[in-house]
Amino acid sequence: MPEPTKKKPGETAFALFLVGLSGFLLWQAWGIAGFEALSSPGAFPMAVTFTMLLSSGPILFRTLRVADRAPLRFFTDIAPPVILIMFAMMLGYAFLLKPLGFLPTSLAFLTLSILGLRRRGLAWSFGVSLVSLALVYLVFRIVFTVLMPQGIVPEGEILAWLGGLFSSGGAP
Amino acid sequence: MKSIFVGALAALAAAATPVMAEYPEKEIRGIIQWGAGGSTDTVMRAVTPHAEDALGGKVVMQNMTGGVGAIAVKFASAQDADGYTLLMGAENPLLYKVMGLGETDYSSFTPINLLARGVPILVADTDAPFDTLEEMVTHVQENPGSVKFGSTGPGGLASVVVAMLQSEMELPVTSVPYDGDGPALTALQGGAIDVMPAVLGAAIEGIRAGRMKPIALIDVSPNEALPDLAPITKTYPAFETYLPWGPFFGVFVKEGTPDEVVTKLTEAYSAGVENEAFQQLMEDRGFEVMNISGAQAQDFLDKWQSVTSWLVHDAGIAKTSPEEFGIPRPE
Amino acid sequence: MIEALQYLTIAWFDPKLLGLVALGTFAGIYVGAIPGLSVTMAVSILISFTFAWEVYPALCLMVGIYMGGVYGGSRTAILLNIPGAPSAIATALDGYPLAQKGQAGEAIGLSTVMSFVGGFIGIGVLAFAAPFVSEFALTFQPRDYMLLAILGILLVGSLSGESLLKGIFAGSLGLLIGAVGLDPLTAQERFTFGVVELWGGISFIAVMIGLFGVSEALTQLHHVDKAAIKQTVGRIVPSWGAIRKVLPLSVQTSSIGVIIGALPGTGGDIAALMAYDHAKRVTKAPEVPFGEGAQEGLVAPETANNAAVGGAFIPMLTLGIPGDAVTAIIIGALFIHGLNPGPMLMIEQPQMFWFITGALMLANVFMLIFGLTGIRLLTRIVEMPRTVLIPLILLLSIVGAYAVNNAITDVYWMLLFGAFGYLLKTYGYQLGPVILGVILSRLIDENWRRAIISDQESLGLLLRGIVTSPLSLVLLLAVLFVFFSQTPVWTGWRARRAALRASGDGI
Repeated sequence: MPEPTKKKPGETAFALFLVGLSGFLLWQAWGIAGFEALSSPGAFPMAVTFTMLLSSGPILFRTLRVADRAPLRFFTDIAPPVILIMFAMMLGYAFLLKPLGFLPTSLAFLTLSILGLRRRGLAWSFGVSLVSLALVYLVFRIVFTVLMPQGIVPEGEILAWLGGLFSSGGAP
Repeated sequence: MKSIFVGALAALAAAATPVMAEYPEKEIRGIIQWGAGGSTDTVMRAVTPHAEDALGGKVVMQNMTGGVGAIAVKFASAQDADGYTLLMGAENPLLYKVMGLGETDYSSFTPINLLARGVPILVADTDAPFDTLEEMVTHVQENPGSVKFGSTGPGGLASVVVAMLQSEMELPVTSVPYDGDGPALTALQGGAIDVMPAVLGAAIEGIRAGRMKPIALIDVSPNEALPDLAPITKTYPAFETYLPWGPFFGVFVKEGTPDEVVTKLTEAYSAGVENEAFQQLMEDRGFEVMNISGAQAQDFLDKWQSVTSWLVHDAGIAKTSPEEFGIPRPE
Repeated sequence: MIEALQYLTIAWFDPKLLGLVALGTFAGIYVGAIPGLSVTMAVSILISFTFAWEVYPALCLMVGIYMGGVYGGSRTAILLNIPGAPSAIATALDGYPLAQKGQAGEAIGLSTVMSFVGGFIGIGVLAFAAPFVSEFALTFQPRDYMLLAILGILLVGSLSGESLLKGIFAGSLGLLIGAVGLDPLTAQERFTFGVVELWGGISFIAVMIGLFGVSEALTQLHHVDKAAIKQTVGRIVPSWGAIRKVLPLSVQTSSIGVIIGALPGTGGDIAALMAYDHAKRVTKAPEVPFGEGAQEGLVAPETANNAAVGGAFIPMLTLGIPGDAVTAIIIGALFIHGLNPGPMLMIEQPQMFWFITGALMLANVFMLIFGLTGIRLLTRIVEMPRTVLIPLILLLSIVGAYAVNNAITDVYWMLLFGAFGYLLKTYGYQLGPVILGVILSRLIDENWRRAIISDQESLGLLLRGIVTSPLSLVLLLAVLFVFFSQTPVWTGWRARRAALRASGDGI
């Protein structure tokens, strides 16, 4: 089996993390039912986590044996600022989605990220974001009736009001 | 009288300023406890459009699956008690407490309508060496552990029926668990299991086609769908304590929802169940329409919980005794 | 027979029904293409929407969406390396490399035509051999499902790229992800750490969107300023020669698709991955290596997943047993429309069988038409500036993950797997095996337990059951064959023998 001859920054730590994860999960799997029966709910998880441990161990061993390091640096080649910032923005988006609602958070997320990546003026980014968000909203909310968190914009009432405009006043 | 007034008021409000309209002034979300294509899903999607007509509003239905329905129940109980979230579920939450699946069950909800009840039935593989319940019992007792019963997990219909049978007789069977009665009945036709306690509606087409044979009807009276099959109480009168028993479907709102909202929803769903097309659907699928609400529905829920909790407790599959939760033993 | 033909063509000559199939197929392609919008979701919404309709128009729309949706997943897989639906996961493996070479147009053209071929074979089997196939599907016992799933998980060998060990780790990680939540058979908590939100398990779609959508978008951020690859859209419809070359393979992969599709509990996603593996095994000398844009690697999953559509209808129409999630909902729809789907449906109302078969054929043709038009416009998506495309992909990932089960928890999982997937990819672990594991986890776990419970917890009895049943024995031999043909001992021996022969030739 051809193995990469150079290791990337962080690779050893990642391999170590995987071994730890496998070990922890094996212990958890053991806790489900122990060796109660071949058909116990814990049997399959134990087999699987054991395989994880069996494969991640040798991976760590091989990674440790590779002495050559690739000429890369963690914070420029593996996780450069642009990736970290984007991911942080997504996390922020996900956390604010519920309290603030879908429309404002999405608009802010799109505008800020396009602005940051493109650097072409706020108005342009905002415009592009608004059009794309309108499309997404149309498809998900109106056509497929996915109820995204409403938050601070009372879209349910607005939609009902809009619906009321179209239907002839009688039926509420 | 009151409803005419309310209706007139609503129409007036809608004509003037729609934003201040009567309930419902926006879409209502219906949380379906089970997955798309399941019987709860089908029943809810079939009744709700009729209820919408009576309600004059829109109910957006969403499936929220997982944890034997516990996730949907927990979600619905965390919403505001404003009538804009309906819980559309089956019987399972009544067993959550004793099965260790959380403290939230229908006691935190107000029943809007209990739509219909299913009748349990025992069906067997056509090759099985028995045709009646007595023959089956004898066969099982002569070959302990070799007859395979399908199951839908502890607390599911099959486990309760087996618990019911075992409370009155010796029945050493092997229970093979499946994801639902659909997959289990499929397995029955392929010979992977021998007997399946299922709801009549799920098995009726297979019986009609001769792909499986009915063994016993777990009810107190014969069913129109299978008039020749005698109810179990005819041979084993002892089961009258537990019967009639069966899974059911209901629509609920969170406890504390304003009375006028509950009234409006109750009227809407009651009208929905009365719809001819829905009645026909229920009959075709072998369900007994109940269409009960209010105190009557609450009594039904209480009795159901008491009978079933103690059954699963006595069968040894419950995690906690019903006594802990103040669930009385059925008289 | 004349009657059957008459029923078959009802939808063909009625302008309204024709239009509805077309509309459904068109919508389906886009539902399929957007990760997070699923055919299952679309069809269950249609139930309420078409409630008051006659049964024929309602079915036309559903059948169209189903057919189009299964095909549509390939679009985003090829263009963006983000499979729009689980059944398109294997398509991305060779489709995306083609797009990177500027051949997205050709790749879509080929995948469309081959989807059509696969779809047609599936419908053909449905029309002529449905009762036979469904009886065969019923004979699968829990142990057979278990063996089939083990055969499936062995595909890790052909999906793991440079390191088999890392592939094995990735595969078992996937199996583990699939096991999280309340155990479906005993309601016992597994890896839930007491968190109720975890009872339902980790949504498979959320994992898929995270692993493919988010991690791919993060990867592309590395060269966000580089100009997008210019797509040369020359020939869209592949030449007859190109089609003829892959035709034998496509017949084989379509057969895999039909059988897997017809088995209750397995569907197009597993079929496509198994077909991909099969293609890799039987194609001795691909023009382009697999994983770098091999045509065979594109053809196999696309034929299989569309053939699985016809397959899924086989048990549904003959026995009333759903072949997959979508057919389960269509069964519900038939109930609501006053029909009683079951074994008697074909006898009492044969027109339903032929009508649906006819509508499927129609949807397949529309899929070809809509698939081949508008490709030029579609390839523009890849040429869009990444600075706009990436934020949009990320937004769609979040919305899509939320839409699956209306839960914010799924969004967090999606993000976690996005970051984790990015790291896995960076350090040489393939993501294919992870998703393969998630797909197969429950199938293996549940059927293993059913099998061993049925044999009263005795391994000996289980083994005896396997070797005495012809079907199980064939599956077991297939498992053993695939296993040993992948292990180092065997491949090493073969390499040595080949070297020996080569040197022998030299003398």
